[in-house]
Amino acid sequence: MYIHHHTCISPQQTFRNADVEALQENTDNKLKAKEPVYDGIPPGILRRMGKAVRMGIGAAIPIIKQQSTDGIIIGTANGGMEDCIKFLNQIIAYDEGMLTPGNFVQSTPNAIAAQMGLLDKNRGYNITHVHRGLAFENALLDAMLMIRENPGNHYLLGAVDEISDYNYNIDLLDGCYKNEKISNKALYTTSSEGTIAGEGAVMFLVNNDAENALAKINAIQTLHTTDETEVRHALRQFMQQHFAPGQKADMLLTGENGDNRLLKYYTAAESLFDDHTTVARFKHMCGEYPTASSVALWLACYPQPLPPHMIKKQGSAAAVRNIIIYNSYRGLQHSFIHIVITHKK
Amino acid sequence: MSRIFVTGMGMISAIGDAVQKNREALIRKQSGISTLTLFNTKYTGLRPCGEIKKGTQELKDMLHAHEKGTTRSSALALHAFKEAADDAGLSAQQLSSPHTALIGGSTVGGMCLTDELYHDANRSENGSEYLSSYDCASVNLYLQKRYRMGGIINTINTACSSSSNAIMYGARLLKNGLAKCVIAGGTDSLAKFTINGFNALHILSPEKCAPFDRDRKGLNLGEAAAFLVLEKEEDIAGKKTYAELTGYGNSNDAFHPSSLSDEGDGPFLCMQKALEKAGLSAPAISFINAHGTATENNDAVESRAMLRLFGTPPPFASTKANTGHTLGAAGAVEAVFSVLSLYYQEIYPGLHFSNAIAATGLKPETHYRQMSLQHVMSNSFGFGGNCTSLIFSKV
Amino acid sequence: MEKEQLKQQLKEQIIQFLNLTSVKPADIKDDEPLFGEGLGLDSIDSIELIVLLSREYGITIQDPKEGRKILVDINTMADYIILHQTK
Repeated sequence: MYIHHHTCISPQQTFRNADVEALQENTDNKLKAKEPVYDGIPPGILRRMGKAVRMGIGAAIPIIKQQSTDGIIIGTANGGMEDCIKFLNQIIAYDEGMLTPGNFVQSTPNAIAAQMGLLDKNRGYNITHVHRGLAFENALLDAMLMIRENPGNHYLLGAVDEISDYNYNIDLLDGCYKNEKISNKALYTTSSEGTIAGEGAVMFLVNNDAENALAKINAIQTLHTTDETEVRHALRQFMQQHFAPGQKADMLLTGENGDNRLLKYYTAAESLFDDHTTVARFKHMCGEYPTASSVALWLACYPQPLPPHMIKKQGSAAAVRNIIIYNSYRGLQHSFIHIVITHKK
Repeated sequence: MSRIFVTGMGMISAIGDAVQKNREALIRKQSGISTLTLFNTKYTGLRPCGEIKKGTQELKDMLHAHEKGTTRSSALALHAFKEAADDAGLSAQQLSSPHTALIGGSTVGGMCLTDELYHDANRSENGSEYLSSYDCASVNLYLQKRYRMGGIINTINTACSSSSNAIMYGARLLKNGLAKCVIAGGTDSLAKFTINGFNALHILSPEKCAPFDRDRKGLNLGEAAAFLVLEKEEDIAGKKTYAELTGYGNSNDAFHPSSLSDEGDGPFLCMQKALEKAGLSAPAISFINAHGTATENNDAVESRAMLRLFGTPPPFASTKANTGHTLGAAGAVEAVFSVLSLYYQEIYPGLHFSNAIAATGLKPETHYRQMSLQHVMSNSFGFGGNCTSLIFSKV
Repeated sequence: MEKEQLKQQLKEQIIQFLNLTSVKPADIKDDEPLFGEGLGLDSIDSIELIVLLSREYGITIQDPKEGRKILVDINTMADYIILHQTK
């Protein structure tokens, strides 16, 4: 499967005139997306959208405008969490009285893909994968299968999740975020438990056409385990299976997130690579959220060399062609993606 | 590409806590719609529901499901999952194999705990035990952990067609060689959240629902979990098979966030795609388990879409008046009913029907009968225009 | 409350309730249809407006179909409110 177009709304300068060289700093443990002016969304439709739907549609519009697609495949753990909580608040505030249904309709996770279908008059395949930290990976796998089954087709593939005060609070109580406020610039030098929250929307146009593609998704694998040796073993097998003999990864892009409890998984993964491989990280840019690996894939396709603030260890590889993304969500859900860069970097 | 067979099934719904009990209830024309007794909402007594009359604690005790943070949705799912896996004779080793996948649909997930969610979202310390159980994925993550499942695990949410898409996705994993065995289905339990949501849209009926009836007053919500075990022809030598999954189609109606287009483009297209996939022409369908929620919009539109595609539609009925609308579980529940129809060569009647919708004149089946069936279609349509049809065929 | 004053208040409430961020009260004409043409509202909005009538004016409308007869334009809404409001 090949990636032809990619857009990203994130806490960094990634949407229109993307420039990831300079890192936007944040010090309140919530990396909120820089939302653009949504001039492509009709105001009558925009008014109903919560942030997740808005970001998703906003990121999708430049792609939809360029190419009609045969289907829409979205990964999101929570969809419109903000609307969900607004409706919940109504239930409590009005004691199950007369409630407005708008929030309810927008709160279902499939509202993002549905709204895209509605806006694009797209009656093709339409699905939403919501498997928490592997929601995007399952969407990606679905897209790969769709293209294998329908070789000439184009699909819109994407991932969206938002920070709401409420899910932040729930995840904070659950120990996911740091208790002390830190700067995202210092994310990897902290040694405490927890990470910082993030959000964003990333969209890809994918098909089976190698010509002029940005990148090829060669393989993906997902894994549920809490055992780092199992992760290491599975990643080694994954590379043996999908790399040509003698081939090495030029870059390992990991989801390291400053949570000292998760470091063992990333250390285990890194131990499989030698001096050839550059090790890079991305969560200081977008924060942690269930579909953050979509940002890693967007960065892997980024047309310029990745900036120094992302590099953990510079390797000797002359050019970056084979990239492995390894991401772990809460030390339970893991994924490996093998990307081959087909354009010049 | 390989042929896909159903080798095991499990279900718990308001009309029974096992597949055979559900079948017997369908034959007896039993409705599971009743007054809510197990949780508090202002709509108790005002909006009847398809409630499973087993308390969450009772379910957990029965299933030895005392892990921290286990929700009602997870307990129901476990109940149906166990039955399906046992029915297909899957060993613990097979369940944990990297070649066994679990694909589940859910729309409510752990949000059945509506009040707990509200409190956890608003308190600054002492969170409940459910902090990581509110999302849709929590159900399948629970099953994954309990059975140490090693294959692909996925959760799908396309509103009321979630578990039909889970079954479709499972079949595609098998066909593409990414699994040897797939347990696919869905679960949803009743929640203050959904009762209030559907009520705010004015589509909950104050009485027992009457699918396809001229004077229908809306839907009854229900709760259920159902799973089907799907395996490839080459891997099931000598095993009992219930039916073959021959067709599936997914399409979006692209019309409105919560209602279907007048002409039913999405329903029409997903049925048409399912026929195409199965290599069948419309007249080959012997029976349709319709979505038939008994809302004004759904039944009129589904009728029109059937008329468009079939000219004269085959016999059809909706089982929503038996189970209630079980949302994310509905597709799997009705897939099981469709498979039972084929396996026993019988059709289950719709309840509470008196007069046809004037504009379409279509009448659902109202009597149980034995009938020769080759191919049964099962429809599921959800909010956001997410429409999916499945076709099962006799083996 | 005078009818003109009520109509102005109603417009502001509708804009706020339906999050019509790009619309100003002066943009809504008293006799312009709320649904389809004009403001382009849909069936979900009609239910939201019924909730508005309940919360702001204590008017209960059980059947959304009934609501569509009242929610024609600002004039018909204002007339109905004057006759039926309980708060």
